[in-house]
Amino acid sequence: MQLSDAWMIFVFLALTMYIVLDGYDLGIGVLTLLDRDPGRRRDMHELVAWTWDGNESWLVLLALALWAGLPLVTGIALPALYVVLVPMLWSLILRGLAIELIDEHDGWHRVWGPAFSVGSLLVAFCQGAAFGGLLAGLPASGSDFAGGPFTFLHHGYAVLTGLSAIALYVLAGCAWVYGKSDGELQLRVARTGRLASVALAVGTAASWSLLSSAGSATLHTGAGAAVPVWIAGAAVLAAGLVLVNRSFSAGRAFSAGRAGQRSAWAPAYATLAVYGGGLLLAGGLLYPTLIPPHITVHAAASPHTSLLFEVIGVGAMIPIVATYQIYAYWVFRGKVNVKREARVT
Amino acid sequence: VLTFEFGLNWGKFAHDVGPIVGVMILMEVVMAFFLEAGFLGLLVYGDGRIGKRMMMFSTCMVTLGTTLSVTWILAANSWMQTPAGYKTVGGQFQPVNWIHVIFSPSFGIRFIHMLVAVLIASSWFVAGISAWYFLKHRHLPIARRGLSIALGTLAVVLPLQGFIGDSVVAYVAQYKTAQFEAQEGNWKPNTGYNILELPNQAGPANNWQVTVPWLGSAISKDWSGHTAIPPLSLTPKSLRPDLLTTFYGFRVMWFGWAGMIAVAMVGVVLRLRGRLYTTRWFHRLLVGLVPFGVLAVWAGWVLAETGRQPWLVYGKLPTAAAVSPLHTWSVIASLAGFVLIYLALLGTYAWYVARAVREGPGDGPLAEPPAAPTLRPGLTGLAPAS
Repeated sequence: MQLSDAWMIFVFLALTMYIVLDGYDLGIGVLTLLDRDPGRRRDMHELVAWTWDGNESWLVLLALALWAGLPLVTGIALPALYVVLVPMLWSLILRGLAIELIDEHDGWHRVWGPAFSVGSLLVAFCQGAAFGGLLAGLPASGSDFAGGPFTFLHHGYAVLTGLSAIALYVLAGCAWVYGKSDGELQLRVARTGRLASVALAVGTAASWSLLSSAGSATLHTGAGAAVPVWIAGAAVLAAGLVLVNRSFSAGRAFSAGRAGQRSAWAPAYATLAVYGGGLLLAGGLLYPTLIPPHITVHAAASPHTSLLFEVIGVGAMIPIVATYQIYAYWVFRGKVNVKREARVT
Repeated sequence: VLTFEFGLNWGKFAHDVGPIVGVMILMEVVMAFFLEAGFLGLLVYGDGRIGKRMMMFSTCMVTLGTTLSVTWILAANSWMQTPAGYKTVGGQFQPVNWIHVIFSPSFGIRFIHMLVAVLIASSWFVAGISAWYFLKHRHLPIARRGLSIALGTLAVVLPLQGFIGDSVVAYVAQYKTAQFEAQEGNWKPNTGYNILELPNQAGPANNWQVTVPWLGSAISKDWSGHTAIPPLSLTPKSLRPDLLTTFYGFRVMWFGWAGMIAVAMVGVVLRLRGRLYTTRWFHRLLVGLVPFGVLAVWAGWVLAETGRQPWLVYGKLPTAAAVSPLHTWSVIASLAGFVLIYLALLGTYAWYVARAVREGPGDGPLAEPPAAPTLRPGLTGLAPAS
């Protein structure tokens, strides 16, 4: 194994951390679009208020891990996906601002609520579209992108993956809120979560079957070491989708006690399986390609001197970062506002 | 946003300097940015959930994070000003010796310059707010402490910054001669010093200029008045940085510094006479000049970045060759969108800061943290049972 492969694993890890962590809070953003009750909306806002920026710092890490370790990918993919990534950044700024100001009851909160919801929805869509565009292939010549602003759309394929990403994040949001709440809110997210899991299953199946006709991608479906990986990924993904659909049963969680508490988190664990399966599937299909049809990990990687420095630096820092992030989660642990009167200040 | 912009608008740059600049920015994120963000969250929202010691520890960690952040950002930017320790392979800059890359010739002095600059800017801001509280007769204990600490800090670091700044100019004169010529705004060798001018980028002379005789030679450490500041006409036309931004970037920065040092010294005199807390015209002055600190930092960056043009990596990678192959309308639309969003952001931020300042820190004992955005109680299990 080369150093570039090790770095690829790290990039993959950052991607996983990002979509798992920010996925649920983006999903909660979309959920607040569906719920008109101000009390429940406020509960959901509280769930993301203190974690969103920590979660999004993984996106920064992902972008930088790509830039520092695989500069060719950054140099080609970002300009190629300009039309979705720029609105994604706008929406990220907007929703970040909105969530910070949402509870300032000064007449503007009517603007910030919808801004947070719509911003979250747009971020989810843009990320899915960017992923689909990449998966279906981006033309390049030398170290430059060689296509137009809408090449990434691939006749609408990117729209399909964008919608699938919304379903995925909504599912994750439901799973998280389900574990963190009870009562009416929990019932509602269970319903939405079941719907989202069906939508995601349909979206994934459609993305899968249309991939070969959408783009120029040469996927490794037939041979190579990665075949068992993507087959396993597909299996885990399918199992996860079934499990998550089944585990949203509000009735069981209502039963008090530890057993009820445990099953309240079942959808969240099943969602993790969905994420893991999906990532393995995509990774197994692509590797060693990073940008279909031609750019591979080894061609895109930084020189050895850079990678060595990065591996040592990041390797030393990640355990420390993980320690205080876990500590922060531990400080703010517990369920969202069950006793409403505790909040009246 | 910045991390994405490097790749979005500067795809070629991203590819060419990723193995060097990308790596240093990555280090900034894993060492500094995460630390700062993580503990800032604890600091702001952790009140009541963590103890006093943990609060103090979090404060120290935020400080460490911001300092490390300055270190890496300045290392990356300084390498772009004075590239060292690399080789080029197929147009890509690749590190050969990391020590030389990180400690590039301009890094040390620019790092200290920046660290002191942000210290000045924040002290200046604190002094201004404290003065405003004096004018309004509110939060007087905090205002007294704030003004005293801020002016004390300023009285020490402002003169220091004068010497540091002079050393920065020395590096510019040595490594970036074109910028040095442009920031002094001469077309002919000049033993005088230009205070103000309306530059003419095309040459061969400025539209008009206000010059103090002898001073140009004096700042070159020749008191006899015979050493001239080199003119921009020595640099080929295609390699000249923009005169207006470099000349005034430099002027705004150091005029701002001179203004602040004068005000800080008046503050010291007032303090020694025991009238610092009662002299209302001085408080009004401080409030009126609040933007000076930030303005000076900002002008300094305008100088450093426009002074490096037409290069991104000085002398090696031309700016024009480093852009992404984008459709013109994509860039226009994205720029327009960002301008709009940032204006909204700036407006909201100004409103928020103004409100936080107006509401003040609460008149409890000093040790209590400001009651700013701790408006989120309500995670049960931790909130007091009711």
